[in-house]
Amino acid sequence: MKEIDELNIPEDAKYTKDHEWAKIEGDTAVIGINDYAQDQLGEVVFVELPEIGDSFEKGDEFGTVESVKAVSEIYMPLSGEVIELNNALEDNPEFVNSDPYGDGWIIKVKPADVSEMDQLMDKTAYLAMLKG
Amino acid sequence: MANEFKTTPLNGWHRQQGANMADFGGYDMPLWYETGVKKEHLAVLESAGIFDTTHMACVMVNGKDALKLLQLCHTRDLTGLDQGRCVYGAVLEDNGHVIDDAIVYKFNDTDYMVCVNAGMGGAIADHLNSNKKNLSVDIDDLTDRLGKMDIQGKNSAVILSQLIKDPEKVFDKMPYFSFKGHFDKSSSLSSEVRLKDGDIPVLLSRSGYTGEFGFEIFIDPQFIVKLWEDILKAGEKYNIMACGLGARDSLRAGAVLPLSHQDIGHWKFTNHPWMFALPFNEDQTGFTKDFIGKDALLDSKSAKFTFPFAGENLRKVMAGDDSQVIDKNGNTIGKVLTCATDMGISWYDGKILSVASPDLPEDFKAKGISCGFVLVDKKLDYGEKLTLQEGKRKIKVIVLSDIRPDRTARKKLSNFL
Repeated sequence: MKEIDELNIPEDAKYTKDHEWAKIEGDTAVIGINDYAQDQLGEVVFVELPEIGDSFEKGDEFGTVESVKAVSEIYMPLSGEVIELNNALEDNPEFVNSDPYGDGWIIKVKPADVSEMDQLMDKTAYLAMLKG
Repeated sequence: MANEFKTTPLNGWHRQQGANMADFGGYDMPLWYETGVKKEHLAVLESAGIFDTTHMACVMVNGKDALKLLQLCHTRDLTGLDQGRCVYGAVLEDNGHVIDDAIVYKFNDTDYMVCVNAGMGGAIADHLNSNKKNLSVDIDDLTDRLGKMDIQGKNSAVILSQLIKDPEKVFDKMPYFSFKGHFDKSSSLSSEVRLKDGDIPVLLSRSGYTGEFGFEIFIDPQFIVKLWEDILKAGEKYNIMACGLGARDSLRAGAVLPLSHQDIGHWKFTNHPWMFALPFNEDQTGFTKDFIGKDALLDSKSAKFTFPFAGENLRKVMAGDDSQVIDKNGNTIGKVLTCATDMGISWYDGKILSVASPDLPEDFKAKGISCGFVLVDKKLDYGEKLTLQEGKRKIKVIVLSDIRPDRTARKKLSNFL
């Protein structure tokens, strides 16, 4: 496992206590799991995605990430409607490990309330939470 | 983290290679290396992989009554066991529950070795000591004084033949569950298998925990890092890989091998896929010898059933006390003991095929299948469908007698030279 100071936690995303990340790009929010989550899970072999058009509340489970070692639910960092899925994960689930903030993104949503982003942790707060 | 747990002599190597480490049986062990579990798993099915198994423990049992004591404490009838052979069985409590599973090695009529799981050397030595009473036996727990590594996969013998003296002689007449040599240079057997470099004696056992062809190697711990590195070098052109406990777990699950204290444990050691480990008489009505746990096993009351299963695809549930096994009538009948994904197999036309299966269809792709064991209250039929549930998550599985096809462990050694 990585030490906390070895984690890649970009400044331009926001984080949940369950280790998802969200980032606003124009009108949409891009969502995935962060470097800590992928490191804990180990090699991801399957990502169960929701359907386009599904609506979720902040905190709702919207999919699962399955590694060789474990199965982990993923939760919505903010409320919204799913407008795009990362279908590349079907053949290349390992993108979640190799590039969690890039090719390993999971869904894009149309946020119901962008101000929910303010309730998420920034890098400093997230790392402080990990350090306990 | 490393400071809280015991380490093997290979710990520095694992960490230097960036292995993902975790506690296993009180030892800081690699789960996987940077290559990842999937590639490690496939390396063993397609070529060869090596595993650090020095965390396992061996107990030497010597003396004129060694056989008597082992007959009492191990589930196999060892009277017919030949020198140079080993057998798999279990060490039980009076109530038929498992203390640990154990492979017994026979050096000669008075000298045996019992190989058990990580951290179990002390418990097994204590159990043997407390049952020896007036028997003339010496028990020596070699925990942390013996090195062990496994090489598994079809290229294991070819790779080892570069490193041992007289490989043709060593590999001649070496069936599954036989062994040659000794790690102790004072043993007369130690001349049988020697490493070319340094003339180091090893005990080479044709066994393992992956279901694939290969060997377990027992060696003085001071030489194991060099042997490990030499094997990796000799196996380079075969794409040999160092493998962690993750690949070991998924390989053994597909091979229908139990993990002690998970698939066998604090319940009666019966009604499971490993009935060969019990000393049944020919008509299966009783046992051929007396042993600790025998009466409890003959009394079928409260005995549960263990069955292997395979999922529809690679999706798993987390095994353990929070899991439920639900039968076709919707009744909860037990729990999941192990659920791992064998990444080398896939369903194809209603059958499971492996990357190592002969004549694979061109469009075959190993996508992985979840598999493992359930512990249930009633006897099930092979082919029966079950639902496994853990929290909100459910997967559909089928009860099968075997999982990964075309395994190589039992094939003749000459096929692999």
